[in-house]
Amino acid sequence: MSLDLTKVAAKVGGMVAKLKAGGAERQERLNYALDVLHNRSIDLDHLKKKIEDSKGKTTWLVAGLVDGLDRHYKAPSTPTEFTILATDGSHIDVDRHKSTRCYLINIGSVILHYGAQSGAALDSFPCLYFGDEDLVIAPAGVGGREQLIEGVLLGIKRNVEECHQLANLAGELSQNSLTLALLDGSLILWGLEAYPEFITEALLTQGFLHYLDDIRKLNNGKRLALASYISFPRSTDVVNVLRVAICPHDPPDCDRYCSPGEKRDCDTVAGVRDRELFVNLLGQGERSDVFISQSSIVRKHYGVHQVCFFYLRVDNEIARVEIPRWVATNVSLLNLVHSLVLDQCQRGQGYPVALSEAHEQAVVTGADRENFWQLVESSLVEEHLSSLTSAKSQSKRTRWI
Amino acid sequence: MQRAGEVIEASTTDFMAQCYELYQSPPFGSLVKTRDLPVELYGVVYNATTTGLEPGRRPIARGKDEASEEDIYRSSPQLLKLLRTEFSVLVVGYRENEKLYHYLPPNPARIHGFVYLCSPEEVREFSQSFDFLNILINTHLTVSTEEIVAACLRQMSQVYEDGHAFLVAAGKELAILLSGEFNRLKAILGRIKT
Repeated sequence: MSLDLTKVAAKVGGMVAKLKAGGAERQERLNYALDVLHNRSIDLDHLKKKIEDSKGKTTWLVAGLVDGLDRHYKAPSTPTEFTILATDGSHIDVDRHKSTRCYLINIGSVILHYGAQSGAALDSFPCLYFGDEDLVIAPAGVGGREQLIEGVLLGIKRNVEECHQLANLAGELSQNSLTLALLDGSLILWGLEAYPEFITEALLTQGFLHYLDDIRKLNNGKRLALASYISFPRSTDVVNVLRVAICPHDPPDCDRYCSPGEKRDCDTVAGVRDRELFVNLLGQGERSDVFISQSSIVRKHYGVHQVCFFYLRVDNEIARVEIPRWVATNVSLLNLVHSLVLDQCQRGQGYPVALSEAHEQAVVTGADRENFWQLVESSLVEEHLSSLTSAKSQSKRTRWI
Repeated sequence: MQRAGEVIEASTTDFMAQCYELYQSPPFGSLVKTRDLPVELYGVVYNATTTGLEPGRRPIARGKDEASEEDIYRSSPQLLKLLRTEFSVLVVGYRENEKLYHYLPPNPARIHGFVYLCSPEEVREFSQSFDFLNILINTHLTVSTEEIVAACLRQMSQVYEDGHAFLVAAGKELAILLSGEFNRLKAILGRIKT
C-alpha cells in the first residue's frame, strides 16, 4: 500500500493554518530584530566583549564579530580571466542486508575557465571501499570502540573526499589565473561532535583540514581562494548576536539567569533566521559583514582554517558563504570570493553553476544503486562466492500477497 | 581516413554514432563506413541531432544579454561538454574479402566501432553499382526517402569528374525502380537537377 494522501491532507491543512496564524507574530519579531540590528547606540566593542564573555554560557550558537553587524558591501568587479573549481559527492551506503560490506563514494569535479581561453573539464571519480581499513576507524591505542563507517560517518567521509579532490584539482592547476575553489554545504563538519576524539583526528585533522592546508599553501604561487556555499541557510548565528545584545545580564548565562520554560527577554527575536534579517538589509549582489563561527568544533580544531562567513544576496535568496580565516583576512581573496560566487550564481540561474555541474557529475540515482548492487551480486555469483541477502531485502524486491 | 564518430546504437538496418566534436556530423547523404573485421559496413547518413547529453536536461535560451552566439559558449564553457551531436546511418552494403555487396550485411555494426567518412575512391567504387538505391527507396524513416536518395546522389556525384553523367545514370536507374511511382521519381529528380 502506498502512502494514503487523503489521510495526510487534513494534517497538512492544520500545519498551514498554524503557520498562517503565527505570521503576524513572526513579522513582529523580525521587525524588532531589525530595529536592534540597526540600533546605532549599540557599542560594538562592548558587544564583542559580551559575546566573548558569554562563550559556552548560552544555549545557542553566537557569531563572533569581526567588524560590524549591519554593514553591506557592493560586489567588486568580476575579473575578466578566472577559473572556478568545484567538487560535490554522493555515495552508496553500506547495506547490512547484503552479503558484502562495502560502500561507494562518487566525487564529481568541475573546472571552468572563463575569459579569452574559456574551457571546461567535467569528470567523476567513483571509488569503492571494501577493505577493513576503509570500513572502520579504530582508535590508535588500546581501549575505545572502533567505529563503522556508515550512515552519518560515511557522509562526513564523503565531505573529506570532496575536499581531497578539490585540493587535487587546485594542485594540478597550471595556469596562474585567479581561482576560486568551491565546495557545497558547510566547511564545519558538524556531525563529528557526536563521535569520539579519534574520529575527529582521523577525518578532520588528518583529512579535511589537511586538504584545506594543501589548498592554502598553493597561495604562494597563485591567487587561490576557497569557499563553501550554503543555499537557503537555516542558521541563526547573527540573530543570536542580537540575543546577546538584548540580554539584560552581562555576561549572559542562560543556565544561571533563565530557568527552562521561563519567558526570556531575548525570546523577542526567537524564531527569526539570519537569512530573514539579511534579505531586508542587503541589496542585489551585496554581501554582509564577515562573522566568525564560534562552534566548539571550529574553536578546538580548525586553527588557521577557523570558519568565517558572510551572507550574500542573489536575487531573492540569501546564501551563506563560508570561508576559512586565511581567506577572510586577505581582502583581495575575500573580494575574489564575493565577486566570483556572485558571478557563478548569475550564470547558474541563482545557484553556482560549477556546483550544480559538479552535482550532476556526482549524482547516484536510485537506478544506479540497483545496478551497482546487481553488479556486485552477479560478480560474486560468477566467482562462486556466497551472495546471500537477507530475507527482508528479498521480500522488498519480490512483493507478494 | 577521417574519423567521424563512434557507434552507440546498432541494428541490422541502421546505426547511430556520436561525434567526437559538437556539430561535426558528416553531411546529410554522405557515405560512411564502420568495421567489424573482416567485414566493413557501408551506410548513408540520413539524420543528425544535437541535444543535451542527459535526457532529462534540456538546453535553455541563454543569449538575451549576450552580444554574439560565441559569447554564450564563452560565458558558459561547460555547454560544449553537456551537449552531444549524433548522426544516424542507414546500412546500404558491406565489404567482405575485398568484395562489395550492395545489400544488408549478416551482422549489425559493433557498439564503439569507429565511423569513418569514405574517401572519394571508396565512394566511386561503391557507387559503381546502383543496387543500394533499392534499400534507400524502400526504407521508412522520419526523414522523407526522396530527400535521402537525392542528398546521397548529390554527395556521390561530387567525387566524379563528370558529376552530371553520374546523376543522369542514377536517374535512369531510379526511373526503373520507381516505374509505377511517378510523383516520387519526380520529387527525387527535381532534387538532383544540376
